[in-house]
Amino acid sequence: MGAVEAVRVAGAAPAIPPALEALFRREYPRVVAIARRIVRDADEAEDVAQDVFVSFYRRHPADAGYASAWLHAAAVHTALNTIRSRQRRGRRELAHAREHDVAVDPARHAERTETRAEVRAALARLDERSASLLALRYSGLSYDEIAAALGLRRSSIGTFLSRAEAAFRREVTRS
Amino acid sequence: MSDDIDELLGVREIEVDTERALARLRARVERDRIRPVTRAAARRDGPLVSLWVKGLAAAASVALIATLLTVSGVAETILTIFEPKQVVAVPITTTDIQRAVAGLGSYGTLEFSTPPKPYDVPDVATAAKDSGIVVLVPGQLPSGVSIATARYGVMPRTTATFTFSAEKTRASASRLGRTPPPMPANIDGAKLFITGGPAVVQYFDDGTAPKGDTGDPFATLPKLVVAQGKGPIVRSDGVTVEQLQQYLLAQPGVTPQLAAQIRAIKDPSSTLPIPIPVDMATSKNVTVQGAPGVFVGDSTGLGSAVIWQKDGIVFGVAGTLTESQILAVANSLH
Repeated sequence: MGAVEAVRVAGAAPAIPPALEALFRREYPRVVAIARRIVRDADEAEDVAQDVFVSFYRRHPADAGYASAWLHAAAVHTALNTIRSRQRRGRRELAHAREHDVAVDPARHAERTETRAEVRAALARLDERSASLLALRYSGLSYDEIAAALGLRRSSIGTFLSRAEAAFRREVTRS
Repeated sequence: MSDDIDELLGVREIEVDTERALARLRARVERDRIRPVTRAAARRDGPLVSLWVKGLAAAASVALIATLLTVSGVAETILTIFEPKQVVAVPITTTDIQRAVAGLGSYGTLEFSTPPKPYDVPDVATAAKDSGIVVLVPGQLPSGVSIATARYGVMPRTTATFTFSAEKTRASASRLGRTPPPMPANIDGAKLFITGGPAVVQYFDDGTAPKGDTGDPFATLPKLVVAQGKGPIVRSDGVTVEQLQQYLLAQPGVTPQLAAQIRAIKDPSSTLPIPIPVDMATSKNVTVQGAPGVFVGDSTGLGSAVIWQKDGIVFGVAGTLTESQILAVANSLH
């Protein structure tokens, strides 16, 4: 019986196993970075990252070989679901963004806020895989890491990625 | 990376306070008394797998059951090669399926020499190149299904060996409190060599449907699936097939009805039985692309599928579409 099992059986207060703490320290900044590319808000990205780690903790052993790949993919899916459900709840995008943004120059601020709303809307309209590819790649993940997270062959990433970029450009122009 | 997209997707660099975030996670775990997973449950859940990989795994297990049932019906010679040249519906009950699944592990050991490792590819050309199959694509799609949503997957050739074991059979039967018929000495240790694939799967979605937001990224099922591949081929290393049939069909788990259905297959060495769960689906014989096929409709009327064999390839077209739409897609493959 492992330490985690022992805690379960004893019914004691749950404690985070050391392996999960190590995984958290290693991957948290990257999970936040991936989520931020999509939700475009630092606090919201940290909320997404918390949900991702809780979800992982509930369902997977911290020392699983696929832990990093799982976390990266889950960061994208959770962030995309966040912006999609927000879009359906109403078009309060600009108002929300203004509250959260810090800017000195009002003109530049307005412009940036608008771009942010457009980027979120464009990402939300893209198919899941294209949005995932863009978020992971532009967060700095390597082709190998992207292949592991999305279950794709490394040799196909380039083709999928350039298609995703073209689709994203179309969506941004459309909005 | 493209500069324009980098600029659009770029975010201001910020410092993330990982220790504060870890404290927040600890507090949440304690407050909500969140329990970690047990090892056994984690294995069931596993890593993220794309939807079509899950579907393919399900299809493969059905094919494997069908193959083992069919092998028991191979009535020609010892080294008969099973290679599907036609398909036939075999009505089975949920109990039959459960018993067949339980039966796999209880008669011996299945070992993959090349485990199934499906993966996504960007287009038909890559699918054809990787699989070595001449990939047929639909010439027409029903309204609402968009070619722009097409996704492609390849399943390379998979090989496995099944080794019968008298000892394992005895042990699992005694756990169930059953007494199986004794395993003939020449079946004990006999091997079946099973080959499946390569196969290519094409997925099409409803181009007009809103994007899913169900919390489960894989919850949205594709509207239409077109699969084609080399069917399961089985070789036996020397067990007499009459004995194998007699032995397997006499097992406590096999109902007389199922045994009769399998014995009734006229050319068992080349007929792929399509198990039809009688309580969930209906089936009928159809002609697709000039070849005999089996049409399967689920009893709710929501989904249907057609399976046929032509030129050494087993084809399947399935989706949440009507019978006439499915058959039109099947006949338009070129």
